[in-house]
Amino acid sequence: MILNGCEFPDDRAYYIERTQMTWVRVDGDRLLIGLTDPAQTRAGKILHVRIKPAGTARERGKPIATVESGKWAGPVMAPVTGTVVAANGDVEQDPGLLNTDPYGRGWIVAMTASDPAEVGTLLRGEAALARFKEILAKDNIRCMRCQS
Amino acid sequence: MSAEATRPADPAGKKILMVMTTGPEDPDKTYAPFYTAALMAAMEIDTTMYFLMHAPELLRKGGAEAVPLKKGGNLKMFVDMALENGVKFLACAESCRDLCDIPPGDLIDGVKLVGSATLADLALDADSVLSF
Repeated sequence: MILNGCEFPDDRAYYIERTQMTWVRVDGDRLLIGLTDPAQTRAGKILHVRIKPAGTARERGKPIATVESGKWAGPVMAPVTGTVVAANGDVEQDPGLLNTDPYGRGWIVAMTASDPAEVGTLLRGEAALARFKEILAKDNIRCMRCQS
Repeated sequence: MSAEATRPADPAGKKILMVMTTGPEDPDKTYAPFYTAALMAAMEIDTTMYFLMHAPELLRKGGAEAVPLKKGGNLKMFVDMALENGVKFLACAESCRDLCDIPPGDLIDGVKLVGSATLADLALDADSVLSF
């Protein structure tokens, strides 16, 4: 689905809370987490990413990474309570991947959920799109993908 | 060497005090402190900004909007970003009253007025103090 030029893949769940707009994809027994199209657009060209190391236990809503672009700096929050199992070294080396390929090579963190049922509380499909529609209108966001 | 081996120690839980003395008289020096404070708070560093001399002018209602930035826009989005990320804003009551002529009700939401002695407490309690 595309809204205001922003892509929202159907195979993801979304964590939308305060300033957070992240995606979650189930990948075997772990969850991959990254920034959505409007989140990377709002940040602008991302210059630095710092990710909590593997083994870090986090409650839902606590930071698992920080992202900075020169015009925006903020946390990436854990969408569920769990443990970081991998940091994507590719985005640490090349943070621009968050802008150019936010749903693919630009994944940021892999986590395991303490309670797998919590993943079911994240927004999907029409419910997620309805929330994104409100946010895009309120903040006047039209997505763009930086070229590397 | 692996990325894990080169990654710096997690600063979460540390305390940083930023002492802000620059006000709207020098717009180029206003943006970086708010940006850096926002980033530090996102890193779970307990971050406090203490505003004295003419710096409280930046916290006056409408004050940040009146500070233009070189790349366009104004300071307000950076002030808001710092507050959203959890940075604590403390303004020196004496500076507000005697230098800036700001009544307490004219400060933006989220600012706490404190006395000068608080600066000593904060500086001694912090892991690091930065001055702008």
